[in-house]
Amino acid sequence: MSEKQQYKGIKVEGVQKGKADWYLYTDLCKGCGLCLEKCPMNAKGEKCLSWSNEVGIYATPAVQPDPNICIGCGACALTCPDSAIRVEKK
Amino acid sequence: MVELLSLPPEIPSAQNMKVGASKFCPGCGHGIILKSLAYVIDELGLQERAVFGCDIGCSLLSWNYMNVDTVQTHHGRTTPVIYGVTRANPGTVGIAYMGDGGGLAIGAQHLVNASVRGENMLILLCNNTNYGMTGGQMSPTTMPGQITETTPYGRDCETTGKPAKGAEMVASIVDPGKSFVARSTVSNVRKLRATLKKALTNVANGGFSFVEVLSICPLNWRTNNKDTFGRLAKMEEFFEVKDFVVPEGLN
Ligand SMILES: Cc1ncc(C[n+]2csc(CCOP(=O)(O)OP(=O)(O)O)c2C)c(N)n1
Ligand code: SF4
Ligand code: SF4
Ligand code: SF4
Ligand SMILES: [Mg+2]
Repeated sequence: MSEKQQYKGIKVEGVQKGKADWYLYTDLCKGCGLCLEKCPMNAKGEKCLSWSNEVGIYATPAVQPDPNICIGCGACALTCPDSAIRVEKK
Repeated sequence: MVELLSLPPEIPSAQNMKVGASKFCPGCGHGIILKSLAYVIDELGLQERAVFGCDIGCSLLSWNYMNVDTVQTHHGRTTPVIYGVTRANPGTVGIAYMGDGGGLAIGAQHLVNASVRGENMLILLCNNTNYGMTGGQMSPTTMPGQITETTPYGRDCETTGKPAKGAEMVASIVDPGKSFVARSTVSNVRKLRATLKKALTNVANGGFSFVEVLSICPLNWRTNNKDTFGRLAKMEEFFEVKDFVVPEGLN
């Protein structure tokens, strides 16, 4: 992956009440689900981060958040062993 | 919907972004530990001074993971290879990365002697309570009752002895004036980074650091995401997570 390259992924706009965008890179996501366990909104019983209809590098489901619930905290990105998630403040 | 994004993934500069997805299994703790290490190398500006050595075991899958000078060595021999590099080229920030097998079974004598001598290096040990690479056999740190390929009825401490506690052992033999010894866990990545920062700062100042990280091996544990963290929580009850030795002035 060099500069100016483009990266296959999912962009979820306007999480954290519109203050951030949430990205998942499908060539990095291995579908392990560790991020689902560390999402604080999931832990509260809300359906924030869940399995996506899109697949990752091993053709297993990737993940994506409900933008209306996601608080953009980045706990998912911090835990992901494969750096497949990025949360960018706007 | 999958689209083409111009924003690249967030990868620390001490990690080799060119290789794409790592060679570790989905959900492997090695990736969490090494990613954290790379962030701390960036934060402390040590990329040019760092030399990274990986053992045999799943740690060897990191032979092209870091964007720092890297050497891959024989099983259990990463510790002497790395302090050899630092002795030959003082000022190097040497990092020896290994598993619980590499550090506490076949490489235990090197761990003991490097600790006693206070070699100027970081020994970073990923404790996933089994021999991951060879298919999940019992290791020195396998938990009491834990089922592995070689303990199908669970580890019986009557016949195999008790699990080895690496951080406690190292803490009891180091020179406390220049050594940092800790046990951390991949369940708290922020804290893991803070621990690695203390460890590498101590090495950059000429000291010896040992960090054991409680890690996860979903492949051999045969656990899903939820049960993986459940087992890690049990490990944290058995293996105390804390800083055991902190030299004066490091905090
Ligand atoms: C001298 C030698 N003995 C045995 C082996 C076989 N072997 C390869 S990896 C490994 C164990 C690795 O376990 P660990 O160090 O805990 O690392 P992990 O794969 O769990 O990260 C063994 C015994 C070897 N490669 N070389
Ligand atoms: S950013 Fe926080 S709230 Fe949003 S999906 Fe990730 S962990 Fe959940
Ligand atoms: S985003 Fe990362 S943590 Fe989540 S399923 Fe994919 S690889 Fe695993
Ligand atoms: S076998 Fe275990 S330690 Fe090795 S890469 Fe797979 S999950 Fe990681
Ligand atoms: Mg191991």
